[in-house]
Amino acid sequence: MSALALAVVLTVAVTLFWRRAHARLEVLRSARPSSRSDQPGARVRRELSHVLGQRKLFQKAAPGVMHAFIFWGFLVLLPTIVEAMLAAIDRDWTLPYLGHVAWFAFLQDLFASLVVVGVAIAFAIRKIQRPDRFRGSHMEEADQILLTILGIVSTLLLWNASRIALGIAGHPAAAPVADALSGLFGGGRGTEVAERVLVWSHLLLVLGFLTYLPRSKHLHIITAAPNVYLAKNHPLGYLEPLRIDLEAADDDVRLGASVATDLSRKQVLDLFSCTECGRCQEVCPAWNTGKALSPKLLIMDLRDQVANEAPLITAGASGVVELQPLVPNAVADQVVWDCVTCGACVRECPVDIEHVDTIIDLRRNLVMAESRFPREAEAMLRGVETSQNPWSQPASARTDWTASVESIRVLQPGDPPPEVLFWVGCAGAFDERAQKTTRSIARLLAAADIDFAILGPRERCTGDPARRMGHEYLFQMLAEANVETLNGAGVTKIVASCAHCFNTLANEYPDYGGRYEVVHHTELLSTLVAEGRLRPDPAGERGSVTYHDACYLGRHNGRYDAPRDVLRAAGAAAVEMPRHGERSFCCGAGGARMWMEETEGTRINDTRFAEAEATGADTVATACPYCFVMLDDAAKAKGSAVRVADVATLLAESTLAEPGR
Amino acid sequence: MAGAAWVFAEVAPDGPHPAALELLTHARSFDEAPAAIALGPGAIAAATELGAYGAATVYASDDPVFAEHPGRPAAHVLAGLIEAEPPEVVLFAQTYDSRDVAGRLQGRIGSSLMGNATSIRDPRHARAEIFGGTKLVDVELAGPAPTLILLRPKSIAAEPTGGTARVVPVEADVPDDVRGARIVERNEEAASGPRLEEAKVVLAGGRGLGGPEAFAILDELANEIGGAAVGASRAAVDAGWVPYSYQIGQTGKTVKPEVYLAAGISGALQHIVGMKGAKRIVAINKDADAPLLAMADLGVVGDLFQVLPALTEEIRRRKGS
Repeated sequence: MSALALAVVLTVAVTLFWRRAHARLEVLRSARPSSRSDQPGARVRRELSHVLGQRKLFQKAAPGVMHAFIFWGFLVLLPTIVEAMLAAIDRDWTLPYLGHVAWFAFLQDLFASLVVVGVAIAFAIRKIQRPDRFRGSHMEEADQILLTILGIVSTLLLWNASRIALGIAGHPAAAPVADALSGLFGGGRGTEVAERVLVWSHLLLVLGFLTYLPRSKHLHIITAAPNVYLAKNHPLGYLEPLRIDLEAADDDVRLGASVATDLSRKQVLDLFSCTECGRCQEVCPAWNTGKALSPKLLIMDLRDQVANEAPLITAGASGVVELQPLVPNAVADQVVWDCVTCGACVRECPVDIEHVDTIIDLRRNLVMAESRFPREAEAMLRGVETSQNPWSQPASARTDWTASVESIRVLQPGDPPPEVLFWVGCAGAFDERAQKTTRSIARLLAAADIDFAILGPRERCTGDPARRMGHEYLFQMLAEANVETLNGAGVTKIVASCAHCFNTLANEYPDYGGRYEVVHHTELLSTLVAEGRLRPDPAGERGSVTYHDACYLGRHNGRYDAPRDVLRAAGAAAVEMPRHGERSFCCGAGGARMWMEETEGTRINDTRFAEAEATGADTVATACPYCFVMLDDAAKAKGSAVRVADVATLLAESTLAEPGR
Repeated sequence: MAGAAWVFAEVAPDGPHPAALELLTHARSFDEAPAAIALGPGAIAAATELGAYGAATVYASDDPVFAEHPGRPAAHVLAGLIEAEPPEVVLFAQTYDSRDVAGRLQGRIGSSLMGNATSIRDPRHARAEIFGGTKLVDVELAGPAPTLILLRPKSIAAEPTGGTARVVPVEADVPDDVRGARIVERNEEAASGPRLEEAKVVLAGGRGLGGPEAFAILDELANEIGGAAVGASRAAVDAGWVPYSYQIGQTGKTVKPEVYLAAGISGALQHIVGMKGAKRIVAINKDADAPLLAMADLGVVGDLFQVLPALTEEIRRRKGS
């Protein structure tokens, strides 16, 4: 009788679950394939650290403990579901081995109790602390989920308690919590009924939860592990190329993501993995300064549209004729353009959702297919296309900065390659403020007797601003042209001064046949100081300096120490801003935001500069011309006495007899 | 008998939108007798000019409902006309108002809509530009008639035929539930003086002005010079001293005046990009190291609060004498 009842309940639950999960699975299957199978070793290691070890969750202490208790409890208690099913059929049936050993009874009792503690912490966070990161999340759904979890573990604990009261539990002493609770039961007929009711309540809650999962944000318990496995192995700053071959163009040219079916499987899995925890929203520079973009809301809005269109998608619908464009239907245009591509959201996300890559894919469609983007960025795109630099400066002016520096070798076609090619970058070559950095680097390299040269007029924009803007085609043309120049010149090692150039050259040019050893100027300078080839004045005193991590150097590429080492060598007393290292806050210029107006909310550069100023430092040190210009503008706007200078300039002042200007 | 091509002509009391005349000119390349639909105050009067540019028939209504409610009434009436006698194509100008109408109409009748077209071969074939105009895409439109095509303004020049249109009055039968949003107020940013991009003399102020009040000094000087326009650097705009329409530079306007006078602008690359085409550059700055001083034909190291009023006074004196 019990066996039949269980069979019926189980069949209904599993069928319902499968039908609902299948609908999600079909959407995934209709998505574009993602090629994310390289380096399985690294993927398994990430699985162990991010999923089993809960590494990213522990970035926040209380929520981390809360989640780890519930998650580890979930793992430990999985066999308990089978145990309860067996006992539901016959009170005396249990799991072979596990059902009889004291240590499992202990683990079950311990982790069921820890889950209760976890749920209590979760409610305390949600109801008492109420952090802003939950703004826009489905709070009631979360409450229901937490209550269900609480129901599952409390029925388990009480069930075990009733068995102890009935004297049919194997190891009462190994389960202290259930043992203590057993006092609630008087034994006898009433307890026998209670034991039956509790085991069935436990099972019905578990199975009910199963059927609820596929349509809820709690689906992450199934999708998170594969999503973490499929995350990018590349550095965060790397974008997957979107090859555009116009000569071979048939009907199948994909220009970024326009409708749901343009998304890749990883992008769709991202949507189904979000639990709306809002850690991304909390660190987002756009959201923090009053812009429309929240990475969490972006993912939720895309998810809702994909879920709404799921029946159409699985029926084979595609293109804008049958499906609604994602922009502006799911997310507004402004949201897409608010992103600075700083990657703080991606780094923070416990389940490795890649918000930035999806935003770029949306931009690609807006720019390349629709020509729909903030008008003020047009001059940049035109400049990059026609003059190979964002400011439409003549190529011949790329060497103007060398006028006041002695003998800079400009690499001519056919010349022997230098030991190191100094990639000056457009800002470094043309921007009057960034030129100071360029000259400092050149003088320091010369002082250290480095055999280096520049490409001069043959250097072109790496294409980073065009790529981050979504103009993949323009980027591709520039990448191919630069790779041709670099390979033709026999270049093997490059030192880049701009963090964006550095990221593109090091991470993205290999896709276009350009493989070089790429270092950032702060890395090379740090090495030269360590080797004693540059000797800063040991008595030098630079006052207190706070270093602003450039996103594309730090978070995107893990270079945190070299610039700080250089500053220390230059005699600076380092003070850190509250947000530094991998949790640094963007200057506001990344993601081609340098070329767009910032009219909503407060300005990101002002916000960041205020944070730097509050440290009391005399100088804000930067390592990227974008950060330099943004923070220097903020300093000037505020009329602040705090100086903004590149790490290289500060080192030059401590090292060279004539640091120049 | 309805023509093959209809043109949705935006009208105002002072006449048809210039883009409507371009649309008619374009429509004539594949339909010798296109019709125009003109809705809103001024429509019947506009029929004369529409006829002169080739409209054989003008369906017109002067009803104010079309001016009071954006998009929906026009889409509603258009849908009714189409239902009665469907044409093969309806052309719209790629303007804010027409896009609004076209989108709503497409939602109503479910035919294909193409945006951003630069030329139209026939009701089923049109062309658009991508990659900033470096590549052309030919598009074939499927689906039920009529197709809806938005043509970018100024894609071709309007050419008159000197013809006369037959005016067919249209009943503005717009129920309350399709009126939707009501236009409460219209604001136009008053433009005083010549446009920045066209002025022979441009006076630009930067961070050195110290606040919005100081722009009055530039305005006064511009007045004395006559025909001069006042602009600003990004820093002054970001500080909120003047609106974005003043901004000269990479992300603002590009100016090429005969004389460019920069007051309190250091000359960041972002700014120089927008004014380097000026014939003569005058820069006033307290900081002798300001990069703009280096590229100026006349650089004044000094306090702009003294230099500018003195300059205004001198011009006034010479004009007086």
